[in-house]
Order: sequence, then structure tokens, then C-alpha cells
Amino acid sequence: MTAAYRILCALVGVALIAIGAPLFASFFAYQQPGGEAPLPGGPHVHYFAATAGGALIAWGGALAAGAWRNELSRSLGTASAFAFVLLALMRILAWFNGDYYTDANLQRPLAAFFLLAALGFVWLRPARASRRVAA
Amino acid sequence: MMRWLATAVIAALFALNAYLPYSALGGRGNERSVRAHVAAAAQLVGQPLPALEFEDANGNAVRVGELLERPVLLTFERSVDW
Repeated sequence: MTAAYRILCALVGVALIAIGAPLFASFFAYQQPGGEAPLPGGPHVHYFAATAGGALIAWGGALAAGAWRNELSRSLGTASAFAFVLLALMRILAWFNGDYYTDANLQRPLAAFFLLAALGFVWLRPARASRRVAA
Repeated sequence: MMRWLATAVIAALFALNAYLPYSALGGRGNERSVRAHVAAAAQLVGQPLPALEFEDANGNAVRVGELLERPVLLTFERSVDW
């Protein structure tokens, strides 16, 4: 495993946890009596945001752990590249749709960023371990 | 092999992402494109209402001229296919 891949896993892992934790916490903040909604939306928005936040925390934790464990790093890279491609595809389709036009052109730079991350995971992940041949 | 396949998919999405502002299909997604017709439409403010004809909730034809004898409230709502 190269140092660049280790750094990529660690950085993306920490970023995912940093994004996921507030999303997860938003559900509980929303339940506070008299509190303001942390996210623009109702109970279902916070419900699904917390669900996504939990998944992001798990994904980020796995990546951060994978930065130090050779046996995890390859499969984590494949799964992460796939996930980032899906995230980019969603934003490209959102741009097509037009419902999110108030976000100006935010979808396109985000999609490009996710595609770059996917490319990084595809090309920096370790090569398949060579099989040991029994003597 | 799979690595190159994944790269091809990602490159195709990159190209699509870069092409979006120039595609007719993506015309609705760009704020500049979405608002392109607003300036032209704004020039119609203060002009007489065109002779529109549309259907009411029961499917009966309604002409704008028929509405002029009474107070009229026009509302505009965002449709699903906006």
C-alpha cells in the first residue's frame, strides 16, 4: 500500500465522519422540545439525514481503519470508488432535473470532485495480492 | 482490465459533467439558462393580458375575456415538471 493511498483513505475517512456526525446528531437535536430544526425540513428529513449520517460514519471509520490495514484497503477502495461514482451520478442527474437550480452550479463541481476521488481510489488502491504457490 | 473499465466509466461521467451547460437537455439545470427567459417576460409587465384560453377544474373552456367583469385572482404554482 502506497503512502498516497494511505493518506487518501485517512483524509476521506475523517471527512466522511466529520460530515456524518452532525447529520446523525441532527435527528436528536430536532427532538429537543422548543429547539430549532438543524436542517431545512421536517421529521422525515431529519430521520433520513441521520440514517445517511450513520452510514457515512461507518464508511469513514472503515476507510480510516483501512488506511492502516493492508487486508482491508483494496476492497475498501473498490467500494469507495463505486460509492463516489454513484454520488457523482446523482448530482449530474440533479443538474439535469432542474429542481436544484437554486444551488446554482454547485452540482457540477461536486460531481467532478467525487469523480476525482473515485479515480484516486481506482488507481491508488493496492494491486491484487499475489497468490502463494505451494512448494 | 477492471481498473481500465472503471476509468472509462469515470471519464465518461467527467465528459458528461463538463458538457452539461452546453446540452439542450441540461438547459433547465443551469440557473442562467433557467432564468434566460425572465428578462423577455418582464417586458410584458403592464401590457394587456393575451387572449388566453384554458380549462377550469371541470374541463370547461374559460376565456380571459369572460373574466373581466368580475374580480379575478391568478395564482401560479410550480408543477412537477418544472
